[in-house]
Amino acid sequence: MTGANKEYKILLIEDDEIMLKVTERILLKEGFKVIVAQNGKEALQKVEEKDYDMVITDLMMPYANGFEIISKIKGDSYGANIPIIIVSSLGNEDSIMEGFRLGVDDFLKKPIMAGELLIRVKRLLARKL
Amino acid sequence: MLLLEAFFAPFFRRYFYYFDSYPLVIQIAIFLTVVAIVSTVIAYASILYRRYRGSRHDKKIARINPLLDEILTESIILNDDLAEGKPVEEIPLPLEKFDRPRFKTPFARQAIIERLIHYRKNFSGDIGLLLRKLYIELGLEKESFGKLKSFKWDRKVKSLIELTAMDMSIADVNILPLTNSKNRELRAEARHAYIKLSKNEPFKFFDVVSEPLLMWDQLELFKIITTTKDISIPNFARWVTYSSNKSVVAFCLKLIVHYNQQEAVPSIIKLLDNKDHYLRSNAINALGKLKADEAEDKLVQIYSSQPLDCQLEILKAIGRMGTGKNLTFLRQEFLRSSDFDIRKNAAKSIISHKQHSEEMLGELLDTATAENKLILKHCMNPLIKY
Amino acid sequence: MEETIWEHVQDFFEGAVFVYGTTLLVVYALLAIMSLIAITRFKRREKNIDDEKMLGSPIAPGISVIAPAFNEGLTIIGNVRSLLTLNYPHFEIIIVNDGSSDDTLEQMIVEFELVKVDFAFSARIKTQPVRGVYKSTNSAYSKLLVIDKVNGKSKADAVNAAINIATFNYFLCTDVDCILEKNTLLKLIKPVMSEEKKRVIATGATLRMVNSCDVDEGVITRVRPPRQILPRFQEMEYLRAFVLGKMGWSWINCVPNVSGGLGLFDKEVAIKAGGYDHKSFGEDMELMTRMVRYAYDNKIDYAIRYIPITLCWTEGPSTVKIFMRQRTRWSRGLSQLMFAHIKMLFNPRYGRMGLIVFPYNFFFELLAPIIEFLGVIYYIVLICLGMINWHFAILLLIFVYTYSIMISTTAILWDQITFRYYKSWKEVASLCVMPFYEMILYHPMIMVFALRGYYYFLTGKKHTWGNMQRKGFNTTAAKMATANNNNTQAVK
Repeated sequence: MTGANKEYKILLIEDDEIMLKVTERILLKEGFKVIVAQNGKEALQKVEEKDYDMVITDLMMPYANGFEIISKIKGDSYGANIPIIIVSSLGNEDSIMEGFRLGVDDFLKKPIMAGELLIRVKRLLARKL
Repeated sequence: MLLLEAFFAPFFRRYFYYFDSYPLVIQIAIFLTVVAIVSTVIAYASILYRRYRGSRHDKKIARINPLLDEILTESIILNDDLAEGKPVEEIPLPLEKFDRPRFKTPFARQAIIERLIHYRKNFSGDIGLLLRKLYIELGLEKESFGKLKSFKWDRKVKSLIELTAMDMSIADVNILPLTNSKNRELRAEARHAYIKLSKNEPFKFFDVVSEPLLMWDQLELFKIITTTKDISIPNFARWVTYSSNKSVVAFCLKLIVHYNQQEAVPSIIKLLDNKDHYLRSNAINALGKLKADEAEDKLVQIYSSQPLDCQLEILKAIGRMGTGKNLTFLRQEFLRSSDFDIRKNAAKSIISHKQHSEEMLGELLDTATAENKLILKHCMNPLIKY
Repeated sequence: MEETIWEHVQDFFEGAVFVYGTTLLVVYALLAIMSLIAITRFKRREKNIDDEKMLGSPIAPGISVIAPAFNEGLTIIGNVRSLLTLNYPHFEIIIVNDGSSDDTLEQMIVEFELVKVDFAFSARIKTQPVRGVYKSTNSAYSKLLVIDKVNGKSKADAVNAAINIATFNYFLCTDVDCILEKNTLLKLIKPVMSEEKKRVIATGATLRMVNSCDVDEGVITRVRPPRQILPRFQEMEYLRAFVLGKMGWSWINCVPNVSGGLGLFDKEVAIKAGGYDHKSFGEDMELMTRMVRYAYDNKIDYAIRYIPITLCWTEGPSTVKIFMRQRTRWSRGLSQLMFAHIKMLFNPRYGRMGLIVFPYNFFFELLAPIIEFLGVIYYIVLICLGMINWHFAILLLIFVYTYSIMISTTAILWDQITFRYYKSWKEVASLCVMPFYEMILYHPMIMVFALRGYYYFLTGKKHTWGNMQRKGFNTTAAKMATANNNNTQAVK
């Protein structure tokens, strides 16, 4: 199982330092490769590099918010079919709807369950194949 | 003045030979000059001291937190037993890692509490439970409970916040008196804690609260009620019917909508006869969101006697119910009214009827005045949300 | 005989000035104490509470953020993007392109994928015609709305157009080139939502100079006091006006004005009061006054609140010329306002506004430069006539000098108590030396510019709209006045 995840690169965008580090460790332990971005600016750079199989993103960040990043990803032929999960403390209907309208696959509200995140990540990646 | 005479005057006399012969104004001015100089120096000293203290605090935190993060990630987040699905109660925690002088100071223990809370803000589920277990096994709850006994209200608030964040139960005797505290923040925090932690009747204080629930507290309450897992949700209609507190009623209406408590509809309909238009408009709003179409006829019936805010809510509610029974009423309001908001909301509600209203919409678009046409187009545009 | 009349005049003048000066000193001392109480309370209340936890709430009230832009082509994209990153669950951003002659609008259309939409609204406040309303086809920018309107030659007109279109019950008024702290909306709506009985019609927070801060694409990465002298004086003055002044007034619910650079307003009251006055030179204070007036006339138990933390960074004029233009405009606005609402002065019908705020503004803001000026003249005359008691004059001068340094230093301390904004103590020190030079360098300048504004008000000179200058606050710490005037005391 660990071996199977190895080839997947996950772009993790999160501005809370702890959350970023901890989620990264969780994903690494599962055998994923993780590319991290701590704010909207870094995220847009990483998106430009087009080297990821999945995106997990926060919504509220400095420089550019999550929606903007998602629309950049979806607006590009590389990213159009990449699965995206939003992990955010914003949980109002507006934000969730906006996310799905942009083509996001899943929306998790903080606090999250690590197990749930992993299951969703794996499911989406499996679907992608 | 006495002070001036007794102490400062001789002082000045020594340095200003003529001090006594100066006019009073000048004497006071000299005295205040000294005060000003002394205060300025004190201000400089406090700025420096505060900065020193602050940066020492930051440094200490910067030393502790990375160590803490390492331990927490290794032994909680990436805990092997947890990954294997072992029940949280049976997972042994490496308490020995905390067994060093650095983690023993009150400062460090407080830092650990804050860090644990931060982690729990991001992670729930088993990780959250394991963090809580660590909090208890390190005896940190004693620190939190200790603060509850403090005489300072802000310490009490802190204690309550920590205990709620960690899901610790507090005895009713300790917390109930605080829910009626004179201090607003303490009172609010105690109520939040009570709702979250009380096993008996979490909503008891709804019955007794006499002063209004502030909007800010409602936000917090709403969040706690809707996110606490094993809370038993009562039928909020009870307070809609019996509470004499306006804000409690309005708040319960929001909860009813959130939980889609259809059984509350009859008591909300009764609220339509209430004298207070604020409550009426809230009730109408709730009926619309609950799609309680049994109230639709009554809404249309009372429409003409309502103030503007209630009328607008009625128009919205009919749109939300979307039965199509009152399309002609909406059309009539759209064409008849001179009020912009009424026309706009009528138009929105006609449009939200979708296929029911297609024909009418076409007809309206053909015949309406330029302004009304603009309103229709505005409401039909998917890019415009409101 | 003639001599006695002259002596009477002299006695009266000196007596009046003495009372005036003393009152001012007492007011400052009181403000310092009240603001300390307000700040300590704020701190105690805030330190435990994590505001961000309300972000997830579905019942947070909506806020419309309004930012007018006039020829901002150079920075508009970054600034709008930065507004879009505000942390709040329920808000919209309304950018008003106030008939720019550059490509401000075109840039936004391209960058944010805007299209013109048929937008219906009722113009409850009259403004210059709106040429078009734009929304984005990309739902990542669904919070953004752009208004294109005919230039109304004022910020007031632009904001009014946005108020007409705004959806929510509260609006935040700012400038497109101001940098806002990410939690601004949360922090400003909180006082509104946690007021027990009163209706909060406006809230504001501290403004600071962005001049020497490190800014990266609309995000402040490091706060610094301005390196240049003129903006650094302004930073000190802003701290005194906001942290010490407005916070003190806020404690007794007597805030005279919520700054145009950053303020959250109750939309209904603002509209009913008639919106911003496009003819005013101090439109923010003017609106505030009318809103308060409306509240009294309609028996609304209102409150205006300030919080001590800095939420907005703005560019302070760094050349004397632009600075002069700004201050002239402010004092012109002040005189306009006082003249238009003079009926409120000492009018018990307007409660604290009529009895405290208005008299304070009238005597210590409006009249201060004039009295100061007269004081200087009087002083010079006395020197020429050789009637001055140098010994006493110098003692009094020293007194006023040290007192003003004390007040300014206190303001810096209060600010440090609120939050340690600067990274090193050296930066704080660089600010702490400013009060020593204020009385000789900065204050005379302000006095002259204020008089210039009054002169324009009286002569009705047409104003040329060079750029839309912000009107942050209005404090002319009339210390020079007391300095000179108290000195006249010394002649006796």
